[in-house]
Amino acid sequence: MENAQTSTQAVFVPARLNAHADTTELEKIRTFIGDKARACGFSEQGVMKITLAVDEACSNLIRHSYHYDASQQFFVDVDFDNNALVIDILDSGAAFDPMNIPPPNLKEYAEQHRRGGFGVHIIRMTMDVVEYLPADDNHRLNRLRLIKKVI
Amino acid sequence: MNKFSLEQRSNGNAEIIYLNGFLDAHTAPQLESAISSVIASGKHKIVVNFRNLEYISSAGLGVFMVFIEEVRASNGDIKLAAMQPKVFTVFDLLGFPMLFDIVETEEEALEKFA
Repeated sequence: MENAQTSTQAVFVPARLNAHADTTELEKIRTFIGDKARACGFSEQGVMKITLAVDEACSNLIRHSYHYDASQQFFVDVDFDNNALVIDILDSGAAFDPMNIPPPNLKEYAEQHRRGGFGVHIIRMTMDVVEYLPADDNHRLNRLRLIKKVI
Repeated sequence: MNKFSLEQRSNGNAEIIYLNGFLDAHTAPQLESAISSVIASGKHKIVVNFRNLEYISSAGLGVFMVFIEEVRASNGDIKLAAMQPKVFTVFDLLGFPMLFDIVETEEEALEKFA
């Protein structure tokens, strides 16, 4: 019997989506990620969580790194490796390391009428691996890597 | 997926907002504007019906955070009704059931306001 992992890896086509730093792009990004996640064999629940994580990451990027400058571009790369979906979000905006954001305090946020601050927590709760690499001399783009294993 | 739209209707002293499509960072400001208008009109008892909402991100959840303290201080509330399981999952991930009244049906929400 053919190994399911080998089979998926053999047919999965790595891809890159170019997006402008504009929230109108989020729907296109979700469709792209959803299709790729389904191709890996994730359940609809898994597809939803992965799509949500990428949406949150891109929304943060558009707002905090690019300040809604729609003339700027970023990239969403997807690959399938070692039975996991690997998503890299690459940008040239201001570095925004999600690992330094504290968990949200719902009561406190409500008292502050605070509408934001949940995206990073969602990413951490839905993805298996979250890694951030800021741009440096060897890599001109910041990279947020999100990995979800197919169970 | 259909883009976002909303409808409203009044029911006594409560206002019901029906959501359609998806709520994300792009469409959430429309909901915020709608709720802001309801509150500005003097109504603080709000039911949000999620029956036709297919997707929500934290931008959508954040809209409710902006207004919840204000409406409760005026003896009102924002009750969230009829969520599809995939939408409830997002609220549950962030612990929203501890802060918000999330109910199965619009009728249940309206009864609580009666």
